[in-house]
Amino acid sequence: MNRPTIAWTRVGLPRRSFLKGATALGGLAATGLMLPRAAHAAGGTLKTRTYADIRSMDPAFSQGVVDEEIQAAIYNKLIQYKPGREWGWELDAAAMVEQADDTHINFALRDDIGFTNGFGAMTAEDVKFSFERIIDDALESTNKPDWGPLDHVEVTGERTGTIVLKNAFQPLWSITLPYIAGNIVSKAAFESVGGKIDTQPVATSGPYLHAGWEPKQKTTLKRNPDWKGEAVAFDEIQIFHIDDEKAAEIAFEAGEIDFTRVSLDSVERLKSNPIQGATLDEYPSLYYVWVGMNLDNPKLANLKLRQAIQYAIDVPSIMAAAYFGAAEPSTGIIAPGLPGHRDASLTGVNADLEKAQALMAESGESGVSLAIDILNKSANVTAAQIIQANLAAIGITLEIRLHEGATFWELGSNEDLELVLNRFSMTPDPYYATSWFIAEQAGIWNWERFRNDEFDAIHLAAQSEADQAKRAEMYARAQDLMEESGAYKFLTHEATPVIYRNSVIPALRPDGLPLYRYFGAA
Amino acid sequence: MLSFIIKRIGLAAVITALAVTALFLIIHMIPGDPVSTMLGPRATPEMRTALEERMGLDRPLIVQIALFFGNMLRGDLGMDVFSNRPVTQIVLGQVPYTLGLILVSISWAAVLGVALGCYSAVNRNSLGDRLTGVLSVSVIAVPAFVVALYSLLVFAVKLQWFPAIGAGEAGNLGDQLHHLVLPSLAIGLSWVGYIARLVRASMLEVLGEGHIRTARAFGLPEGRVVFGYALRLAILPTVTVIGVGMGFLLSAAVFTEIVFSRPGLGKLVIDSITTRNYPVVMGSVLFSTLIFVVSTTLADIINAILDPRIRAGK
Repeated sequence: MNRPTIAWTRVGLPRRSFLKGATALGGLAATGLMLPRAAHAAGGTLKTRTYADIRSMDPAFSQGVVDEEIQAAIYNKLIQYKPGREWGWELDAAAMVEQADDTHINFALRDDIGFTNGFGAMTAEDVKFSFERIIDDALESTNKPDWGPLDHVEVTGERTGTIVLKNAFQPLWSITLPYIAGNIVSKAAFESVGGKIDTQPVATSGPYLHAGWEPKQKTTLKRNPDWKGEAVAFDEIQIFHIDDEKAAEIAFEAGEIDFTRVSLDSVERLKSNPIQGATLDEYPSLYYVWVGMNLDNPKLANLKLRQAIQYAIDVPSIMAAAYFGAAEPSTGIIAPGLPGHRDASLTGVNADLEKAQALMAESGESGVSLAIDILNKSANVTAAQIIQANLAAIGITLEIRLHEGATFWELGSNEDLELVLNRFSMTPDPYYATSWFIAEQAGIWNWERFRNDEFDAIHLAAQSEADQAKRAEMYARAQDLMEESGAYKFLTHEATPVIYRNSVIPALRPDGLPLYRYFGAA
Repeated sequence: MLSFIIKRIGLAAVITALAVTALFLIIHMIPGDPVSTMLGPRATPEMRTALEERMGLDRPLIVQIALFFGNMLRGDLGMDVFSNRPVTQIVLGQVPYTLGLILVSISWAAVLGVALGCYSAVNRNSLGDRLTGVLSVSVIAVPAFVVALYSLLVFAVKLQWFPAIGAGEAGNLGDQLHHLVLPSLAIGLSWVGYIARLVRASMLEVLGEGHIRTARAFGLPEGRVVFGYALRLAILPTVTVIGVGMGFLLSAAVFTEIVFSRPGLGKLVIDSITTRNYPVVMGSVLFSTLIFVVSTTLADIINAILDPRIRAGK
């Protein structure tokens, strides 16, 4: 491993105070900085698990949490997610970041961060390069939408600059700067390899170094000896690629890994028969699961019929049978803890058979026969069987059609789609959730072909709304509109149960995903 | 002998080409769009078009097949669209894990199976023969994944004698062998029973033949009669079965690699089919086919070496 050669220079920081009402998340940062963090013991190896192999170490092409779990440890961002039960962020590479106005965000970098392999100190030019390359059409980055209305980054000093937006963009603080698109890479390093990388980082700057990747087996991170920030707890982190949660649980019980997510059906067993020296924690998830109905399909054109289906589905039964009581019913597409989460859905969670039957009678439909398409996972099959029984109670025959992954995710373009049991991933901003249900997405990711001008207008306006209370109201209204269309029955956000050895102090996002750089040793 | 080997290699090449063509067609006919899977939900139409062009998916299927074979002959299996690494490099990185697993599994199974088979044949109808028979049939009936799961629970979780996941540290042979014990037990166990029964039956047939009686009449030691003359012939069906059984071993390896979270061709194939990663699927399929074809060809050649009647075409 080459040692970095870094020219350490100090920069004068603007004296303005931290953040001027950027977002609610921004507000949490101030308190976050005050929270005590577990004392990190020095040394040792943390062995943990990821459910898939890495795809790319280039922030422009990473597609999700698997890559980001590693990137968050080896790269720096201006801000990072703060571990804990509430969403928030804290400063990372930035010594200061502030929202000067709706479209300008000033930042100043710390003066003690350098890139490995001799690529020098991190400068504002690196920040400019990292962010602007993602919006460059020539690069064809799939993460371009994360940067929304980014216009450019203005470099005002060696380590100071301003992010300039075309218009206000609130998700910047919750899903851009602290997530994949916010990773800062070395301009010189990337240019030395032609502008983009694959699975091998060319230069990193975080508290851990990327020490090796054995495809389909594991990624190894090692302590960065030149890291000047808060000391990390482990000399080495080994992240094993274990697809199956059951296999991961066995590996944990065999003492081979220290931390893993466990399956929902294991929660009860692990609670009643705990593993010695280990702790089980349950976190809510951001995923959202729902039953969708294709509004363009003539068989579902009748609003009363769709409403009858909404009221006939008994969500608690699905929670008990398909999720083993380890998940809670949801009220929409926005999970608790995020702006716009509704306390209750319009159609409730318990089946209202009387109302469903009355709606069915009002609809004038009889002998209805429908089909529901599902991904071939056991939870989906169980949920679909319960829905099948629920709908049978109001005279609807439901056929269950199973699909494997690649086939299932092609169904959006199928105009004949009827019902679908769907599950989308989510980032911690409501903008990300509503973006899939605008009219423009009909037949792409809006499988229900839900088209509503008010919804589209809310989606557009809410991303710029600085008043958090107002923004929350807007997203709540957006979910009301979805539900009023009769095209949606929201089921759950699922859950993220994790287990870890008591020798480890995990540092997790509020949705249970690991932030390895903050993991501690007890 | 040389012409026999050349003929077998020629036949193997034709079989490989036909199998790969058939698998290419099957893979491209199953529903599912690789471009959507690879680019994720936020790809623009321009990105999709560019990727389709890059993968050659915009061309007629027959052209895609021709291009695949053309590139394959030059040793170029294309690039993995996710990681942008050469498919040949990716697949070759996984082959040693699967090959090692299969070879270790079949080796210990063959050694034990042949020994048990010989013992049973020589001690026909004894208590040991009966016990061996019962045990052999019992293990034949147990699928590899059941052995894998129970061996994990007993030897990895309960006793913690062997590791539960992975293939061991790269470059550390001892650690890698330690990681091979349970997976090879899972794959090899049913083969012990199968080979034992096969060898017993063959041995009994051969031991009853005239040349064995003659050898005994000449007063040759029993060990030489059994292992020097009888086993040499009795082993032929076993060699053939092991060669042809490579297909079963490969499929058992898929389960085992998943249960033990081991790298290998099986895991690679499953992952790449799920994501419709065509270049990697084809690369994996090509190497799996090669393993199968090479092993059956080798079995034929070994049989020909052991039995001159085969190479003489009788």
